[in-house]
Amino acid sequence: MKLRKSLKFAINMVLHSKLRSWLTILGIVIGVASVIAIISLGEGMKQSLNSQLGGLGGDLVTVSPGFSSSSKFTHGRGPGGGGGSSSVATEEEVVLDRGDLQALKGISDIELMDTQVRGSVDVSYLGKKGSVTLTGVDQKYWAQITISEIDEGRMLGPADQNVIVIGGKLAEGYFDQPIGINKMVTIEDMAFRVVGILDDSSTSIIMPIMMAYQVIDDKETGIYDSIIIKIKDEENLDLVVEKIENKLKMIRHVTEKTKDFSVSSNKQTQEMIAEFMSSMTMFLTAIAGVSLLVGAVGIANTMFTSVLEKTKEIGIMKAIGAKNKDIMTIFLFNAGLIGLVGGVIGVIFGIILSSLMPIMMSGMGRLGSETVVSINSIILSLSVSIIIGMIAGVIPAYQGSKLKPVDALRYE
Amino acid sequence: MKHKEKLVTLKNVWKIYQMGEVKVPALKGVSVDIHKGEFVAIIGASGSGKSTMMNLVGCLDLPTKGDIFLKNQNITKLHESKLSVLRGKTIGFVFQQYNLIQTMTALENVLLPLELQEMNDEKAKKQAIKVLKLVGLEDKMYNRPTQLSGGQQQRVAIARSLANDPEIILADEVTGALDSVTGKEIMKMLTKLWKEENKTIIMITHDLNLANYAQTIIELKDGEIIKIKNNNKQTTVRT
Repeated sequence: MKLRKSLKFAINMVLHSKLRSWLTILGIVIGVASVIAIISLGEGMKQSLNSQLGGLGGDLVTVSPGFSSSSKFTHGRGPGGGGGSSSVATEEEVVLDRGDLQALKGISDIELMDTQVRGSVDVSYLGKKGSVTLTGVDQKYWAQITISEIDEGRMLGPADQNVIVIGGKLAEGYFDQPIGINKMVTIEDMAFRVVGILDDSSTSIIMPIMMAYQVIDDKETGIYDSIIIKIKDEENLDLVVEKIENKLKMIRHVTEKTKDFSVSSNKQTQEMIAEFMSSMTMFLTAIAGVSLLVGAVGIANTMFTSVLEKTKEIGIMKAIGAKNKDIMTIFLFNAGLIGLVGGVIGVIFGIILSSLMPIMMSGMGRLGSETVVSINSIILSLSVSIIIGMIAGVIPAYQGSKLKPVDALRYE
Repeated sequence: MKHKEKLVTLKNVWKIYQMGEVKVPALKGVSVDIHKGEFVAIIGASGSGKSTMMNLVGCLDLPTKGDIFLKNQNITKLHESKLSVLRGKTIGFVFQQYNLIQTMTALENVLLPLELQEMNDEKAKKQAIKVLKLVGLEDKMYNRPTQLSGGQQQRVAIARSLANDPEIILADEVTGALDSVTGKEIMKMLTKLWKEENKTIIMITHDLNLANYAQTIIELKDGEIIKIKNNNKQTTVRT
């Protein structure tokens, strides 16, 4: 029998199958739908993280005083791990200053540097008050270095003084009234004009660093919370990070053990998070895969019953010239089709589930806010469900094909 | 006998069934030749071994001992897939319970043996329609078995048995589930196939009246052939 005819025969069998087959299909549907939903959630998390961290910005390096948590990951050492009196003494007073900046200027691989300070400030607008994070940036370079994008208005420019750029959420939803371009906002009793609104959902305020020293309580001029470095060639990232570390160690008179600063690159952080995310996704997918496996057992079960139920037909077909191979193929196709039908319905449900998930998970903040159904996950789960169906069908199909025609015909 | 070519030969054929601990011989050393163009009736009471014999002649089962030749090929030595092909091409089965596939239309049922032989679609459809016409069911070919009467279903089954233009039609109690009028019609049809299409008909029956349609009557009792008689009083059938 030609494969095409076997397939037609198998389709006919599925079409005439009873509730039992549909229950089996349901098992596969649940498995596939959960795999799709979980993969899409993982994919969505990855993308939203990437967009938060900036898909770009792989050429950015951040220098910060002390051991930040990210340096713990990258260097595998805890804070104060160096021990010794100097390290204890510096832990409270560790800062970055002009000396560090000057030293870094000597590195030729660096294209731009933006010095930043950060602090919490009181802000009021039209009589309403709030407390938000303010970042003071070097307005000469910030616009070129930042990965944030402007939604309305403009970035900070070199000549700016009493102006600010604010986050999208601060502009839209933080106060009762939305803050528009050119509106005046009061920060720690000083008035600032809004010149730009960022295309994000933050409540942050960006202003020139010299003004920031004035509004943030305990920041001394010339002291930085971080230095953001844009390097010339992203390819050399690891090398430049090493150069920066060596230079700073020298100027700050510290060794690897007593190091009191950390250098981290966006890329490293991204890679680390991506790695974490994919192992997380894999773990969840494996759990969802278990339900696919249960579905496969269901298919095997149904196929056994189906072979039993079709015994007479197997006998008839053999009497009129069907070979063992033909019977085998038909039942394998049947099992594969159950897998396929389950897979297709599962994909549809998976996509629906994926689009509902952000609503169900709205309480979980940004991470659940996006799901991305990738073509790959669809192709993967479809082929897995077909293959699983066929594997589950192998033994029943083999049993059916081996039936002696005389016995099969006698079966009622 | 004018036809001398041997189509089916049984040589000292034994079939022993294992029933739990006990071995039950259903056929005990049966030897017989069936020639091309013969109309043979195999008769016997139930338990005489006629069904076993029909299964063996139809290559649906293999003997415990002895040899069976179908068109000079020893089927006991054939590989399963070759046997299936041989069976599909040489023998057309008509069963008591029609044995049509319920989910398929009459046409699809008749097409099935052709599809199993991988005949091309167009040719197969032509052939199927031709044999459906032969049994007078061209107007019912898109009906499913459940939409047909018993006689009509049996005619579909006959059409199916004819689809591959086999040399042998093996009919197993074909009128057993039909009323006598319809049964007669089916018998007429078989006789017509024998006379006009030159088919070799092997018919299993317990009904002596039906056996009288045949040219040769083989009588079985307790697994042995007790009589092979040439039927002179053969019922003449006016078509």
